[in-house]
Amino acid sequence: MKIEIMRRAIRLVGLVLLLTWVPGSVQGQMRAAKAESYGIAVSTATINQKAPSAVLPAGGTMVQDQASDVTVASMVTAQDAFAIVSGDGAEASDAVSSATLGTVSILNGLITANGVVAMATSTINTSNADGSSLANLVVNGVQVSDPAPNTRMDLPGVGYVVFNEQIPTGDGVTSSGITVNMIHVVLQQMGLGGVQTTGNIVVGSASSGVN
Amino acid sequence: MSNPRLLAGLTATVAIALVVASCEARRNAVAPTIGGPLFHFGSFECTPFKMTGGGRIDYPPGTADKNPPASHTYETFGAHVIASGQTDANGTCLADKGELEWVDHRPEMEINGHPLNLHATAVTFAEVATDTDCRDGAAHWGGILRVQNTKQDGLDFEVWDCDNGEPGVGHDGFAISVPALDYAVMCPDPDLPPAEPTCTLTGGNRQFHPTH
Repeated sequence: MKIEIMRRAIRLVGLVLLLTWVPGSVQGQMRAAKAESYGIAVSTATINQKAPSAVLPAGGTMVQDQASDVTVASMVTAQDAFAIVSGDGAEASDAVSSATLGTVSILNGLITANGVVAMATSTINTSNADGSSLANLVVNGVQVSDPAPNTRMDLPGVGYVVFNEQIPTGDGVTSSGITVNMIHVVLQQMGLGGVQTTGNIVVGSASSGVN
Repeated sequence: MSNPRLLAGLTATVAIALVVASCEARRNAVAPTIGGPLFHFGSFECTPFKMTGGGRIDYPPGTADKNPPASHTYETFGAHVIASGQTDANGTCLADKGELEWVDHRPEMEINGHPLNLHATAVTFAEVATDTDCRDGAAHWGGILRVQNTKQDGLDFEVWDCDNGEPGVGHDGFAISVPALDYAVMCPDPDLPPAEPTCTLTGGNRQFHPTH
């Protein structure tokens, strides 16, 4: 009788283990490392363009893209743009992305810079934008040096711009992430219902995340 | 009933033996061949590992942090390497695969008005540094690269790669040498073991992964 009870207990334990067992590869798939970067993105009613652009694929380790010259209509011109993403897509433990540009001119010279670095770094419980910088930034003829994160300036007749825009994501415990947009112009115009956003120009964007 | 048990036992034994055998490949690297390490600092071993990430270096360093952005005195990069601890007939630690993209933004390094851009076409060797202060792991690896600006190809390169904890900024390090170009971004510290000529990151992160 006791032996029979023990056999049933062992079978029960075996069944429970079988039902709760998750292969290591599946556990790895539950976590994800994400990284994306791009030099320029313009989105309006008639334009939707992003270049150069790199996205870390699932399970991947590095992707890069580059362009010597980028011109998007009369919106943006830029030189020497590089987008690099890297990390451990398999174990989903880390991700780093960067976008760098040389000379940049936005809206026919309303905003210019000649050295843009966007850098986003994530590990499982922390993210940062360290390494990001703007060189020789000039807005409407006025020099702006080393703008703090999320510095907003109005652009009369155009909308506004946010420099060194930093958008954190994740809970900082089981996941973390950040998006860094070094120059983010929000195009606006007056409509019947008030001010309306008509487009966005982003120069130097890097995102990373681990969850 | 006993045959499946016997089979399972044998399979487990073989699997364990294989794992143990693969983890015991800890040989010191010796003289390089073409495509192998150009020279050695300290001691290294062939053991399975992976190093991932990227970053920014402000070299030559002006302060403890970033140089003034307007100086454009910085390099940015992405780099990873994977090795399974195998060696070739000469004892060189082989890399399974890897990538390197390196951009030097310094004006004096420009070629035809564009930043110097190095792109690895093959990563051939990778070894783990053992005499190191890098807390989480360090590696020495390299192979062949191309200068994207000029398409000059077939150039040996090597890097020193240090994961010294989190965050990567202010802790981790990276260094590169391309002898044929007389090009190097290295920051040797006389107070540290010679295996660590790395420049401290001012952005990004290096992540060492022991794969066994």
